Amino acid sequence: MQNYQHIGHSAVRVDGKEKVTGAALYTDDLDFGPNLLYAEVVEGPHAHAMILSIDTSEAEKVHDVVAVVTGKDFPYNFGLYMKDRYIFAQDRVRFFGEQIAAVVARTPHAALKAAKLVKVNYKPLPKVLCPVEAIAEGAELLHPNLKNYQHVPWFFPQPDTNIAHHRKIRKGNVEKGFDDADFVLEDTYNVPRYSHCAIEYHAAVAKYDLSGRLTVWASSQSPHTQRNLFANALAPLGIKHNDVRVIAPHVGGGFGSKAGVTMEILAAAIATKVPGNPVKVLWNREREFYNTYQRLGVVAKLKIGVKNDGRITTLKHDLFWDAGAYVEYGANVVNAVGLSAIGPYKVDNASIDSYCIYTNLPPGGPYRGFGYSEFLFGLESHMNRIAKHLNMDPVEIRRRNAIKEGDLTAYGAHMNPNGLHKAIDAVEQKIQWNQPLISNDPNIAIGKGFSLFWKAPAMPPNAASSCFLKFNEDASINLLVSGMDIGQGFLTVMAQIAAEELSVPTSKIRTENPDTDRNPYEWQTVASHVTWGCGNAVRKAAIDAREQIIELVSRTKFLPKETLFLENERVKCTTDPSFELLLKDFIINGIQAEDGTFKGGPILGRGVFMPEYTSTNADPETSQGGHPNVHYTVGAAAAIVEVDKQTGKVRIRKIVEAIDAGKALNPSLVEGQIVGGVLQGISTVLYEEMKFDHRGKMLNPNFTDYKIPTALDVPDEIIPIIIEVPQPDGPYGARGVGEHPMIPIAPLIANAIDNALGIRITSMPITAEKICLTYLDSQKKSSI
Amino acid sequence: MAIPYEFQYFKPGTIAEVVALLATHGSKARVLAGGTDLVNELKMGYRVPDVLIDIKDLEQLSKIEICNGHLVVGALVTFRDLLESKLVKEHAYIVYEAAGLVASNGVRNRATMVGNICSAVACLDSGAPLLVHNAVLKLLSVNGERELPISKWFLDNRKTALAPNEMVTHISIPIPTMKYGSAYQKMMRYSGEDLSQANVGVLMFADGECRVAFGSVGPVPKRSPKIENHLLTQGLTAESINQAKEMIEQVIAPISDQRATKEYRMHMTKVMFERAIAAAAERLKQPRLITKH
Amino acid sequence: MTKISFILNGERRSLDVEPYEVLLEVLRDRMGAKSPKCGCDSGDCGACTIHLNGRSVRSCLILAVEANGQEILTLEGISRHGLSPLQKAFHERNVFQCGYCAPGLILSATELINNNPHPNEHEIKEAIAGNLCRCTGYTPVVEAILHTTKKE
Repeated sequence: MQNYQHIGHSAVRVDGKEKVTGAALYTDDLDFGPNLLYAEVVEGPHAHAMILSIDTSEAEKVHDVVAVVTGKDFPYNFGLYMKDRYIFAQDRVRFFGEQIAAVVARTPHAALKAAKLVKVNYKPLPKVLCPVEAIAEGAELLHPNLKNYQHVPWFFPQPDTNIAHHRKIRKGNVEKGFDDADFVLEDTYNVPRYSHCAIEYHAAVAKYDLSGRLTVWASSQSPHTQRNLFANALAPLGIKHNDVRVIAPHVGGGFGSKAGVTMEILAAAIATKVPGNPVKVLWNREREFYNTYQRLGVVAKLKIGVKNDGRITTLKHDLFWDAGAYVEYGANVVNAVGLSAIGPYKVDNASIDSYCIYTNLPPGGPYRGFGYSEFLFGLESHMNRIAKHLNMDPVEIRRRNAIKEGDLTAYGAHMNPNGLHKAIDAVEQKIQWNQPLISNDPNIAIGKGFSLFWKAPAMPPNAASSCFLKFNEDASINLLVSGMDIGQGFLTVMAQIAAEELSVPTSKIRTENPDTDRNPYEWQTVASHVTWGCGNAVRKAAIDAREQIIELVSRTKFLPKETLFLENERVKCTTDPSFELLLKDFIINGIQAEDGTFKGGPILGRGVFMPEYTSTNADPETSQGGHPNVHYTVGAAAAIVEVDKQTGKVRIRKIVEAIDAGKALNPSLVEGQIVGGVLQGISTVLYEEMKFDHRGKMLNPNFTDYKIPTALDVPDEIIPIIIEVPQPDGPYGARGVGEHPMIPIAPLIANAIDNALGIRITSMPITAEKICLTYLDSQKKSSI
Repeated sequence: MAIPYEFQYFKPGTIAEVVALLATHGSKARVLAGGTDLVNELKMGYRVPDVLIDIKDLEQLSKIEICNGHLVVGALVTFRDLLESKLVKEHAYIVYEAAGLVASNGVRNRATMVGNICSAVACLDSGAPLLVHNAVLKLLSVNGERELPISKWFLDNRKTALAPNEMVTHISIPIPTMKYGSAYQKMMRYSGEDLSQANVGVLMFADGECRVAFGSVGPVPKRSPKIENHLLTQGLTAESINQAKEMIEQVIAPISDQRATKEYRMHMTKVMFERAIAAAAERLKQPRLITKH
Repeated sequence: MTKISFILNGERRSLDVEPYEVLLEVLRDRMGAKSPKCGCDSGDCGACTIHLNGRSVRSCLILAVEANGQEILTLEGISRHGLSPLQKAFHERNVFQCGYCAPGLILSATELINNNPHPNEHEIKEAIAGNLCRCTGYTPVVEAILHTTKKE
């Protein structure tokens, strides 16, 4: 094991002091001076309707109103993977609450008042609120123009249907697999939509100055992607990429919701109509729920065949995704799951059909886990049910099937090195799996659950990261990257990497959220890839700087390069212990030669990382032949729960979760991801639920009725375990862990509840009410 | 979110000025105490007044005191004040218990019990505790003061017997004259802050009287004389409690909404009734009231 | 317009407000105190928590006019004197992630410690239960408060 000075240490967050003092500024905290305008959005009150007319005259009369804009002002479409989205609704609205127009005023009070006066006439259209209905014969078409939308080459839309994408896997011989099976289990699992619930709203302020420069400040996971999409969408106005600048302050939580482009484009577009004035678009809690991305809902039909010894012979997984009104980002969730819905198992015969289906509900999009939580709910429930049928231990059946390095994935690529079996062993031991659980209270049932997980980053094959590194006079460093610290501690870890390579302490490394004008390219902070991807770029930049330093010292001090190394902010020499040169003495101004001249100059490092082995070129009928995913991060989890038989209320005594981080660059931050992610997972299974009425209107767009946990709702104990089987192309062996901790939690709890009460619940959420009523029902049935 | 409405704000120094303003503006005026409901309603455009009358300068309304055998709670007493009051813990334990389950600390520091009953939302926490204690409300207008039993206060969801020119000045809770045990049970979706999906209040006395009230299972909280009579005549045996549990089906008519189904509300009301009876009986047995949190 | 004045973080401040102006917005937009955040605007999330006369309250549920003559403390006011032991523990233990809930949480926890210097775990959870955090899972927050307040 290499002896690192910074890597693997729990360094204190570089943004920690800002955050505990209130100094940290988020987008809505920035001041923009007396010219600031406020935009208030007008929303459509139909899930599906034609817009017949918009009358803005009354709104325009309100004192302090500056402008009213509508879809007619911006007849442009945009989207990340498929251009099916509009800045404001054009001829029709496709979900309840979609933006129709915006009022721009000098005060929020006036904007809100005037927005209520915009009159819109609609002709309601038949609506489709369920993905299964949306693909039925004769279903109302949401996007008659689907065939003309531009999209990435790995999407397969089906024109004149509501299917925006269909990812298909065909591997081995599925039918023969079922013939060979001793037992086949088939069932359908329902996972509804979920909301990210970052506590900070989406916020964007844009200024289109009188010279035609567009600057957008946004709460964002994707500054460069936003710049790219803004520039592309607004190109008809003559705007070029170098006219657009995105500045990303601190982000008050993302979880996927602030990836890609949603409401931010409103600010960018509206600003072009009020040149010279910054304009703020601030979302509210209601809109956070119904007009940003939501986690997609899914109906998953799963059929698995096994031998009596528990080995999987075949798997058929059909997933019908409720992807919402626009799928420009959400369709890639469907794609990612289509590629990986065998779970972390060796499955020789597999058939997967993952359908991205338009519905008249808010747009589905990226959410921590990117579809894996959703399909694993069914898959890991299924594994337990099969074990129960075979009278096998739920850990054992997983151990027998768990994927190993070199096994083939569903699309035929080799599985990366991983610690899945180590994780299973570690969790089994820590939770004392074989110890019997006894309840002393007849009203309390105790149960235990187990679940595995895996997830790969879902990215374009050429998603890239880059870094500039510059020294200051005192050998402190500015590290310029464009990954976002959305709370995970990304910036701290990047500082640790540079510190490791350059022997400068993290306290002397300033690295902040980006400005696309100053910081080099990063695709997006999503997919749990930035530690891995941008970490590689930072490491390369630091090595680049170090090599320049060594080269300079070598040629000016006449020492062989291979004898020079950095330690404690100094250049030292292996063959001359007395030699040392402080970095601060030459890092900007160079080294003076004997003739009085100076050699060198400011040291600047650059680093770029792009995986060069990935490809989406595969047979669309089977998905065989490409290499769409860079690697999988894997792990295992177990839980012990108590259930109150009378009320259905669940108390979680203990959760143990092991994750293979490859290399935990900062263990305290990895543990933070685990503890926080586990609670988010618990919340989705026990408490949260988006409720829509028959009109497609969300009934609970608030924390009063969309319940996320409080400090009183945490498990008695969460024990994180870090496994380290290095990722060969990761920085120091690291791979991402941000999304993964929540992924196994839903089936984990479902399995523990089944173990406690003998009831199997196949739809999320598993609320106290559902447990209670299901249990009462099972008691009635068993007493008959 | 900005409040897109305009109104006048008054903060009178005397109660006479408050009722004079109410007499002038009637239903166009609203009284502001803690504001935790009211400010939300202003943002949502619900019952936006022309005139807002802030009563926080009326210090005499911020007291909890004993007066003529009653525990008198002023209109400015917050849930936090109730939780910190020894008098409340001693003489109306169920009020203390329910107060601890209202919203969260930061809201309880501001929200008042009088405000809670004036909002009169169906899911309020104060209803059942005040009903079992036969609380009396003191209402004031330019025409003078009147008293109204809490049982006549709630008319419907968000609708009370308050006249447009009146304000509630105090809640007056008769102090039990004999040993009592009480308990409040609240159905919540989790342990953190939640609105009640059903609640049960029980107050029993050493002489066998047992009062029961149900909240959040209909438009207004209510007592059940039928169940109370049954428990009084049959005593608190396992059998009589079971019979009482079954009687709940005739007493309440919960609805299904986004927070819970009527089936679960009914089931939980029975479970909570049984648990509240058990907890109150246990507290009654204790030599003297020992407050436990 | 009504002229109001209050003590903000130890300093007397005066301004004219309309009755419909909410205290949270006035503190942020007109007084420059940005640490109280808006996360729900309806009293559910606690991100806007400030101290009003020593008690933690939701500044999104208070009209600015109501603050006339009162004393207000925000996280800026606490931080002016360097890190409190609580802030120090939060910092050193990498407790916060996105940090958006931090100002409200710190004010709720500070109120608790002011009244109860050695709270138990349940009292801590109860005191901060009105502050929603989506990142941390709360456990690190509770542990840091316990660490800071444990009896020597």
